[in-house]
Amino acid sequence: MPVYQRFSIWFFVGVLTLAYGLVLLAIGIWEFSHPPVGIVLSQYHGTFWWGLLMTTFGAFYTIRFRPQKA
Amino acid sequence: MTPALLALAMPRLAQMSPADLLILALYFAMVVFIGFYNKEAADTSEEFFLAGREMSAWIAGLSFVSANLGSLELMGWAGAAYQYGILATHWYWIGAIPAMLFLGIVMMPFYYISRTHSVPGYLQLRFGEGARGVSAVSFAFMTVLMSGVNMYSMAKVMQIVLGWDFNFSIWVGAITVGLYVCLGGLRSAIINEVLQFVLIWAGAALIPILGLAEAGGWHNLKAQIIHNVGAGYIHMWSTTGNVANNPMGVHWFGLVFGLGFIISFGYWTTDFLVVQRVLSADSLRSAKMAPIIGSAFKMFVPLIVILPGILGLAVLRNADGSLMHLVGENAAVAGQHTYNEVLPLMMARYLGPGLLGLGITALVAGFMSGMAGNVSAFSTVWTYDIYGAYINKKADDKHYVAMGRWCTVVGMVISIGTAYLVASAASIMDYVQALFSFFIAPLFGTVILGMLWKRATRQGGFWGLLCGTVSSISLWAFVRANPNNIRFMILQPHASQLIIDKVQAMSENIYRAMWSWLICVLVTVVVSLLTKARPIAELNGLVYGATEIPSEGDLPLHKRPIFWAIIVALVLIALNVIFW
Repeated sequence: MPVYQRFSIWFFVGVLTLAYGLVLLAIGIWEFSHPPVGIVLSQYHGTFWWGLLMTTFGAFYTIRFRPQKA
Repeated sequence: MTPALLALAMPRLAQMSPADLLILALYFAMVVFIGFYNKEAADTSEEFFLAGREMSAWIAGLSFVSANLGSLELMGWAGAAYQYGILATHWYWIGAIPAMLFLGIVMMPFYYISRTHSVPGYLQLRFGEGARGVSAVSFAFMTVLMSGVNMYSMAKVMQIVLGWDFNFSIWVGAITVGLYVCLGGLRSAIINEVLQFVLIWAGAALIPILGLAEAGGWHNLKAQIIHNVGAGYIHMWSTTGNVANNPMGVHWFGLVFGLGFIISFGYWTTDFLVVQRVLSADSLRSAKMAPIIGSAFKMFVPLIVILPGILGLAVLRNADGSLMHLVGENAAVAGQHTYNEVLPLMMARYLGPGLLGLGITALVAGFMSGMAGNVSAFSTVWTYDIYGAYINKKADDKHYVAMGRWCTVVGMVISIGTAYLVASAASIMDYVQALFSFFIAPLFGTVILGMLWKRATRQGGFWGLLCGTVSSISLWAFVRANPNNIRFMILQPHASQLIIDKVQAMSENIYRAMWSWLICVLVTVVVSLLTKARPIAELNGLVYGATEIPSEGDLPLHKRPIFWAIIVALVLIALNVIFW
């Protein structure tokens, strides 16, 4: 069975931000047809764009710092 | 009714959707996983207390600044920015950057080369057991109180924003932090601090972006602030020629020498909570670079803390459209919000489902990193500098690791007790600044003389530290007995009541720190000159002039820490000029 390096700190960062990015992206897409009530400047779709940014950031760090075979 | 159900019955600023709760739950799951993941590796004292001294400059630097990003930064300073304007930024710029650069370039060689495990440990090497004892006991006392401050603030946020039960939040936060620090030691705390640093930016950065969009840009924001509260709120230096001319009641002399020198140097160069992160670096060069990297990030934290606070002066409105006015903790009546609520109010204003969860998680992460930092530092100082130094000197390494784990648990329990004490404090900021002035300023005087002056003796170091600490407590009691005594402390016997009130509200601690540092230094110098100097050979690795510091002349310019320190210093100067 192959042995892998220990997880890098940046891998943890990537996984968590990727997970958050995907959640925000899903909500952001849903909000195009169901705008949130009582939120100022919701017309700028901040959730969608921030989710896209975090997904990109998280995916990069997850792939770049994934554990390699030792 | 269970605590969870009780929580739902309280009024709240915002409502968390299932997606928000998922985001928060993912965070808790991750931090606990990290604790368990690192448990096996944290089996020696070097690993448990100093993360094996394996951290890169970037990791050590980010955790260095993140360990400080607790309740103060997120809620307290946003509140201070609302209350005092951009003057609050001084605590991030002149009140932090020069000290961080000084730590990296001047002091880290001695901390690192001496191979000390803590700041009290350095004092023991330099001045003997007396100085170590005073420092260790005072630090241990202060750091558990600070952990309580963070714990209280997090519970307060949960209560105000979400209506969660205060007690429930304290216990959940305490158990989570206690678990991952107890299991994984400093490595676990550092990983979570880096994670938390990223989260804080991810969760909080949208607020100033959307706030500026609503205000119509920076120039429109300034115009609205001037109209609503006055021009004194948008200048950093031009109103500090007289304490009566600015909202905070500060004078530039106090800002530069009190805050910029004494308090900030005292905190950033000797507070073991932050220094411990740099001690975990994998080399001397990394140890020197880490505070410089941290300082660069610290310089931009006002974007997510100060800017939201001053945006509140322009955009926060009541239901009838009138400008909302926040008040102090003690002045709030039903229906009013306090200064410290400005950041949660801004979050509720701009962050919808998902983003709110991220913002709340960022706040929770910031508070928990503060708690973890304090409790891991407490555990180290107790185990090495109190238990290992005075109670049980001959135990094996495994025993000290076990003591470190148990001490983490005990530290959390004590912190919970102090959290309830803080609940009666008028303002989080005043409380913390008072603590700093008791212990940090004299400690800085002792450490800096120890590192830069070969002639400082053991007796000088001990008596200087003790007298400085006692003097700061005495001055506090002197003012507490009669607030009008402030006029003697600021050397203005005929100061008006307005000036006394302004100084008392915010800058009293600065003056107290200056006096206690001065007394510490004077006593250290006088006693040292009256006592026998230590042989130079005994000071190797501890003092400038007796230590061979590795040269960096063979490194290319961009790899030298001093190069980056100069870049950061120039940016700092430019920012202060821009916001004059």
